[in-house]
Formats: sequence, structure tokens, C-alpha cells
Amino acid sequence: MQGTPAGGTRPGPSPMDRQTLLVFSLILASALGQMNFTGDQVLRVLAKDEKQLSLLRDLEGLKPQKVDFWRGPARPSLPVDMRVPFSELKYIKAYLESHGLAYSIMIKDIQVLLDEEREAMAKSRRLERSTSSFSYSSYHTLEEIYSWIDNFVTEHSDIVSKIQIGNSFENRSILVLKFSTGGSRHPAIWIDTGIHSREWITHATGIWTANKIVSDYGKDRVLTDILKAMDIFIELVTNPDGFAFTHSMNRLWRKNKSIRPGIFCIGVDLNRNWKSGFGGNGSNSNPCSETYHGPSPQSEPEVAAIVNFITAHGNFKALISIHSYSQMLMYPYGRSLEPVSNQRELYDLAKDAVEALYKVHGIEYFFGSISTTLYVASGITVDWAYDSGIKYAFSFELRDTGRYGFLLPATQIIPTAQETWMALRTIMEHTLNHPY
Amino acid sequence: MQPRRQPPPAPRSGPGNPRPTAPLLALLLLLAPVVAPAGSRSAEDPAQPEDAGVPRRLLQQAARAALHFFNFRAGSPSALRVLAEVQEGRAWINPKEGCKVDVVFSTERYKPESLLQEGEGRLGKCSARVVFKNQKPRPAINVTCTRLIEKKKRQQEDYLLYKQMKQLKNPLEIVSIPDNHGHIDPYLRPIWDLAFLGSSYVMWEMTTQVSHYYLAQLTSVRQWKTNDDTIDFDYTVLLHELSTQEIIPCHIHLVWYPGKPLKVKYHCQELQTPEEASGTEEGSAVPTELSNF
Repeated sequence: MQGTPAGGTRPGPSPMDRQTLLVFSLILASALGQMNFTGDQVLRVLAKDEKQLSLLRDLEGLKPQKVDFWRGPARPSLPVDMRVPFSELKYIKAYLESHGLAYSIMIKDIQVLLDEEREAMAKSRRLERSTSSFSYSSYHTLEEIYSWIDNFVTEHSDIVSKIQIGNSFENRSILVLKFSTGGSRHPAIWIDTGIHSREWITHATGIWTANKIVSDYGKDRVLTDILKAMDIFIELVTNPDGFAFTHSMNRLWRKNKSIRPGIFCIGVDLNRNWKSGFGGNGSNSNPCSETYHGPSPQSEPEVAAIVNFITAHGNFKALISIHSYSQMLMYPYGRSLEPVSNQRELYDLAKDAVEALYKVHGIEYFFGSISTTLYVASGITVDWAYDSGIKYAFSFELRDTGRYGFLLPATQIIPTAQETWMALRTIMEHTLNHPY
Repeated sequence: MQPRRQPPPAPRSGPGNPRPTAPLLALLLLLAPVVAPAGSRSAEDPAQPEDAGVPRRLLQQAARAALHFFNFRAGSPSALRVLAEVQEGRAWINPKEGCKVDVVFSTERYKPESLLQEGEGRLGKCSARVVFKNQKPRPAINVTCTRLIEKKKRQQEDYLLYKQMKQLKNPLEIVSIPDNHGHIDPYLRPIWDLAFLGSSYVMWEMTTQVSHYYLAQLTSVRQWKTNDDTIDFDYTVLLHELSTQEIIPCHIHLVWYPGKPLKVKYHCQELQTPEEASGTEEGSAVPTELSNF
């Protein structure tokens, strides 16, 4: 890199831009496998006078080349930046020190910087610019999902909006998508996915479903009728802290990430923290347990946010909570074997929903009340919903039945979402046709 | 037609919960052959839907336990079977003693993309008697299955797998199988199959009336060569127990040679209590130890 001519202000790109350009070109060189910059440093030297400047220029002339000037020797008051290959560092530093040239290390290891930049670039590529390039058949990170939500809401602002209903324990936003054709306080349907963070198929299904709703609105008679009279709310990442943790540290994490003083283990099972039979059979008071119910009902911000939202709204008619795995569709109660008052209706509806699901890809689901179909569990979402007056409260356990379990291959995302949609649609249609 | 009686609720709740105190001796629960309408799986009698789930679930779990045992005993990583469908069964539940289940079920091959697979959806049929002694693990199992794969083909596939394993670099630097997105590299498939075989033994030994296990993930692998050409395989898996939702790390050490009975030793980590320090992980020489519920 040649220095600029002496005298007058320097033309050309600003120092920051130039450095960026350099970094990019190095990335390219590195990516092409031509160069490795591990251990190379960029030194900034301040020459006091012309004599010192000329010493630096001497370096430039050395053969074989020992330095690569990013900002060449120009005037004594201007800093000189030079890239020094790792193998020459000792020599160059000795040279500078012996001639009394003061220097500082601007970049300690270029390769590290390059790697970080490359990573950041790849990352920003993944944060898609529009939802049409978003892959519905892959699993995504929290950032990718939240980015998709913003794009999605922008693209379909006529019927979709985003609501923040609270913050998680680690202070992440808790977001809900609202699908509405207008009106005030329409009767509403609630769907949540990801309350247990390791159940990745549920978030993926939720995202596909959101897109399905906007795609089919105006085309599918049943869906269009539903949206004319009702609002749909979808909470895609009900446990954002847990979900981030499944990506960073522990793929099989289930609970949230709440910490309490004096308690050695982390996290509360969000599906045991509701105010319905709290602390009963099928939940655990041991904080180290996967079904730890927490210190008190709704103690967890992720649960409290939903309770507050649904209660304040006051007009929810159906609630569907989506989990994996086991291939089941169930209704309350989980906390006991006692049947709910409209058990017969829920049984018939579940049966219809499961048959609609089966017709898509031939996947068989069990159905029935939670306590008789899966196991006794207390303090769960759908029990609370039912006790709060929401007559149509259902819990899904999506694919599969244990071959892959939580680690369901991404190739099964779209088939799972397609069949689940038919069951959801059946439930929503019934809710529409049975106002109360 | 035998009258159908409602069984006492099976003790499926979490740890520390009281057993049902029904003062009954033995209950016979007879189920007609299960031919449910396509896609739906519940009671045939809608008037009593609430008792439908219990026996069905119990039959499924008994079938799975029988398969863990069957797979272990067969000792063949290329002939592993998984449950396809429960066809019929009955259960005798005695709250004081335990539970006995007779079950007939169909199976399919675990390996989805076998080179020597003949035809799509080849189903085998098994019948099993599974006896759970009250809350004790290691159910007594008597199981027979129709042959799914010809013996010679099975031996060929086992030997192929054996050779693939022998050719792998040692020590293996495996991160996770499947990866977090559920994908298994075909090149790593033999490792997974062998790990599943060893895990089957562990899962059978740990199964009780209320605890049922699935293999979630293989998280670390080491393989040593031995002089007598057996595969000496040391690895860690994560098991998922359904009723408590716990993930249990188990360290497993197996020795295998095609056609020879499988040798397995293991140690599974216990559930932490708030007062304990983190659980210990010991070497493979330690005999069986159970998760503490």
C-alpha cells in the first residue's frame, strides 16, 4: 500500500473504510485458501520526525518483504499502520525498539478477526431479508425466528401484528402474533408452541402454521370464516431462554432458566407452573427435576405473561398448547382422572381432528384426556385454561413416538406441520360453530 | 362377551406419590382385538372414554420393553426392531404384586435405509409376556417374533457393520449422534446401531411398571481395539424417561463380535437432589446402578 503524497489532506476513503476494505480482501484471500493470517499483527507506529519516517520507509524496501503497510509512512504526525507476518514479528519489534520507534498493537491476531468477521457475515446472511427466502423446512435459532417475525408482520400487516406480552427471566421479549380482520375484542383462539424448549418441532410447526394462515386467508372458506369472526393468537417461542439454551449449551433442556438464591439447580417446568391443581401428582417439588413446578403458581414470568394477557383479554374461546413427542391429541384434566363436564364433546372433537390429521400422511394419533392418555400431570396449561372458562382446551404431542423423539429430523417439519394444521383447523372450526 | 371392568389407575405420577390403595386382589382386564377406525386410537365404547388410555398405554409399554429385551438377546445391530403397532393384549394388574401383560404386536426394521431390505414396510410379528414386579426394574420377559430377515443376510450385514466399525479412526471424535437437527451421517450409522443395541440392554434393565425409556442421543464415543478382534465400545448416551421427563446420562461399555452374545456393563447417573453436588460419572467396570426416583 503506497502512502499518500506529502502535503495537503489525504484523498481517498477514510481510514475506517480502508481498513474494512483490507479486511474484506484478506477474508477473500483467506477463504480462497491462499493465505493464513494466524498470529499476524497490525502495529501502529508513531514517527517523531523525518528521520524516523525514513527508517520506516527502509522497512518497506526490504526483500523479502517483511511488512505490509496499511497506512504508509507519510508525515511525522500521522500514524503508520503495518501488517507484520507472525514470522517477522520478533525482527520487526526489535527493529522498532532499537531505533526508539514507539508502537502499539492494533490487531493482536488478524486471523481471529477474520474468522469473527466471516462468522458475522454468515450470520447476517442467515437473518433473511424477507420471509420468502426463509426456510420452513429447517430448524432456526431464536434470532432467526424473531427476525422472521418482524419480516412476517411487515409483509402481512393487513392481518398480522406483533404484541409483546412480557419478558422472560433472562429478559428476552415474549412475543405473540395476532391474526385479525378487525373489530374489537373478537372471540379469540390461543395457540402456543415451544413451552418446552427441546421440542423444536413445535416452534417449526408454529411458524409454518402462521404462514399457512396468511396464505390460505381468502382462499380456504373455513379459515376465512374463522378469521372474519375470531382472532387467532400464536405464541411461537413460549420459553425463549430455554430455547436459546438448547442452541448454545444443552439441546435437551426443557425448563425455563430461572434461578433462585440458595437453589442449586436451574429452571422451572413451565407446564407445571399454572394455577390448577398446582403441586399435585405428576409435578415435582425437587428443583433439580424436569417437572419442578416452581415455588408457587405463576411464579415464572413466562407463565405470568400469558395468564395476564389472556385474563385481561377476557374473550378467549379456545386454547391449544403444542408439545412433542408421542403423537397424541388430548384435553383436560391432567391433574386427575375426573372427566370434564363437556368430556363427550371434546372426545368427539378430538376424534374428528385426529382423523383429519391422519388423512394427510397416514400418521396415527392417540386421543383422550391427558391423565388417561399420557400421564397424570398437575399445574398444566390446559387445566388452567379449562378452569378459567375456556371450554375448548387441547394439548398436542406431535411426532414421533420415540424413534427420534425430540431430535426429529428437519425433513419431517413440513409433513408434521401439514397434518397438524388439519387438526387445528378442525378444532377452530368447531369453536367458531359453537359460540358460548 | 366378557364384561369390561375398569382397572385401578396405574401409578404413573412422579416420584414420591402414594400408590393406589384399592383393596383388590387381581383384576382381569380383557380387551377385544384392537381394530380401531383409521387414525383414531381410543376406546371402542365412547360411553366410557376415560378408561381407554390406561390399558392401551400399558400394552404399548410392555411391547416396547419386550423389544428392548428381544433386540439385546438377538445381539445383532443390523437386525434391530421397533414397535409398529399393538394388535391385541390383556393385562392382569395386582396392586400388591405388580402387573402381567400378554401382548401381540407388529414390528418393523429400525434401519430405514438398509441395502438388503426386501420390499417396503415389511412387518414382523411378535408375541410377548411381560411381568413387572411391583415397582422393580428388569421385567421378566418371554418374547418370540417371526423372522424379519433371513439369517444369512443378517449375518452378512452384521459382518459388514463389524468391518465398518473396525475401519473407523481410533479414538473417534464424535460430537453427537444424531446431531441437534436429528440428522445421522450415513457414515456414522454403524456406531449408532451398535450404541442402540447396547442401550437396549440398559433400557430393559431399567424399565419398571411406571418407568419407560427411549434413546435420545449418543453424546460421546470411544472405541478401543482388542486383541481378539472384538469391538470394544465405550460410549455415553442420553436416555429419556417419559413419565418423569428426565434425561439420564448413561455410560455404557460393550463388547461385541458378530454372532456372539453381547456383553454390556453400564452406569447411569442418578437424579440430583438440591443438596447434592453434581453426580459422579464412573468407569465401565461398575455394575448396574439405577436412577433414583
